[in-house]
Amino acid sequence: MGGCLSVNVDRIPGYEEPALLSAETPFSVREVEALYELFKKLSHSVFDDGVIHKEELLLALFRDKNKTNLFADRIFDLFDLKQNGVIEFGEFVRSLGVFHPSAPQEDKVAFAFRLYDLRRTGYIEREELQEMVLALLHESELALSDDLIQAIVDKTFNEVDSKGDGKIDQEEWKEFVLKNPSLIKNMTLPYLMDISLAFPSFLSPSET
Amino acid sequence: MGNGDCVGKYRFSRTIGEGNFAKVKLAVDTSTGHPFAIKIIDKDKIVRDDYMRCQVKREIKTMKLLHHPNIVRIHEVIGTKSKIYIVMEYVSGGLLSDKLAYSNRFSEQEARKLFQQLIDAVDYCHARGVYHRDLKPENLLLDRKGNLKISDFGLSALRKSGDVLSTACGSPSYVAPELLVNKGYEGAAADTWSCGVILYEMLAGFLPFDDRNLINLYKKICRAEFTFPQWFTEGEKRILSKILEPSPEKRITIPEIEDEWFRVDYKPAIADESHEKVCVDDVAAAFDSTEVDSDEHCKTGMKNSSSFINAFQLIAMSHELDLSGLFEQEDEHTEKKMIVSKHTLGETMKKVEDAAADTTLLVERVYNKMKIHPKMTRCTRSYGDLSAEVIKVAPTHCVVKLSRSSAKLGDYGKFCQRLSSLLTENPATSTEKDVFKVLKRNNSIIKDLRIPEEEQKSENQDLWGYSSS
Repeated sequence: MGGCLSVNVDRIPGYEEPALLSAETPFSVREVEALYELFKKLSHSVFDDGVIHKEELLLALFRDKNKTNLFADRIFDLFDLKQNGVIEFGEFVRSLGVFHPSAPQEDKVAFAFRLYDLRRTGYIEREELQEMVLALLHESELALSDDLIQAIVDKTFNEVDSKGDGKIDQEEWKEFVLKNPSLIKNMTLPYLMDISLAFPSFLSPSET
Repeated sequence: MGNGDCVGKYRFSRTIGEGNFAKVKLAVDTSTGHPFAIKIIDKDKIVRDDYMRCQVKREIKTMKLLHHPNIVRIHEVIGTKSKIYIVMEYVSGGLLSDKLAYSNRFSEQEARKLFQQLIDAVDYCHARGVYHRDLKPENLLLDRKGNLKISDFGLSALRKSGDVLSTACGSPSYVAPELLVNKGYEGAAADTWSCGVILYEMLAGFLPFDDRNLINLYKKICRAEFTFPQWFTEGEKRILSKILEPSPEKRITIPEIEDEWFRVDYKPAIADESHEKVCVDDVAAAFDSTEVDSDEHCKTGMKNSSSFINAFQLIAMSHELDLSGLFEQEDEHTEKKMIVSKHTLGETMKKVEDAAADTTLLVERVYNKMKIHPKMTRCTRSYGDLSAEVIKVAPTHCVVKLSRSSAKLGDYGKFCQRLSSLLTENPATSTEKDVFKVLKRNNSIIKDLRIPEEEQKSENQDLWGYSSS
């Protein structure tokens, strides 16, 4: 990382001013700048082009760029706000903003809903839930019989699908999360609380 | 036995304290006229599932075994169908928090005496593997002679750990930084931090970290951003700087606190362990009225669907959606591992303990989470953060989620190996098929019986022991 690379000169596609991003997100300008350092690192890890490709996200999350993972796919999809197949800096900061400990709960609840609504139908359906449970169990090597998985999905719908129409809508989801706030604890990244504190290295790039 | 204003030989008078799960009432032993403080716990609220029942029972037993002049003694535990009564020593001098509120600040001599007593008691408990986790002036009582007594030591199951961090339950001013950032933490170091905040407050008359804005307060705590008032002596500053160290690894340990400043007029307390025989049978008896054997519970007690995890809970706990990887350097990437267990929750936790039995690791239960760290001696001390969380997925299926943030951890490899072999052993009893028959039946019941909202909530909290703030 060259010390002379100042934020103002190396414009990359999708670069946005930290001040602008700071105004839209819970991050301070300095924090957006710190995130830019992280973004640069991630976006050059596989393809040297300054945008994050799916492989690069997978590499960062799992240390394996060829891993297939349902949830990482969904995360990538949601971060890619413009739906152009890559994550640009502005998208990266805005999406991470949702994971900030002080981001509004509604945003987190909505983000989780979109994440779980695999087919983007506006509802979380039984099949989607089942698919997620299967994916999860597959990753964790937890072998449960189909019957047990069915029982878990049934229980979930009994609890969440308060209207009983066989699908979970945003309203039901919101209501359920309100009662079980820990369900969206995965929507908060404590790391974002104070980026400069946790990652002093981001703010003082090495001089060499 | 427990009708309204009497239980056993005790007659209640006024309420002297009230919390989420318990009420404390002043009571008089009608045979002797001695006063006692009785903590009344609603069984329904706290011991909903087998695991909580075991946990609370274990903690009360532990607390009963703590005999230290600076720790509130438990005399007796009485159970009725719906309540548990913990009969405790009555400490009449009030709370330290009240005293702090009406006296500006304490003299060095007074503050040091209370601090010495606090450290003495905390050290005593830590040596027995018991951590307080919620030390604050509201939990410190004073007797008539002005000596300090810690209450609720070892009763962390009676508090939801999430409460410490939530605004609803007061300020997190006494909470160590590592708890705020939701990292794995070690009970001893967190208690040490709280002792430091208490010492500062006694000497200054105000808190070291204070801000109306919770986020700012968090930041201040995480950075250990505080200043010393000009009247603090060098000795005071030295000890406080070492205690209010944000990194638990660098923080001074309880045994190291005994420095020059601390030793002035220090009279170590003499713990009276052999003084009398302690009987803990009453603790078990107090729970018996609702006690259901855990295996039996699987077969008969499945009137609600809490035997299964909610799929969203399963998703929320998985590492699949964990973006922390973005922020971790490759070399410091915390190792996370899931081990599947074909056993009930209780059995699985037992096995985690068994796996650590012959190693140099010490297991500490906090709800269904287990903290595992190297056994410590007074002089050598190394920190490692390994936590194991046991999650019930189905009646006889659990997942043990191990996360480790420290590379060097004694017998970690050996522990993992033993744990996986213990957990994959086929349970002698019921096969999955048998269990499923029960589930099927149970399932049709769930459909008719919606779980009351409150129950869902607490069940969920029990699962993780905390809720996100």
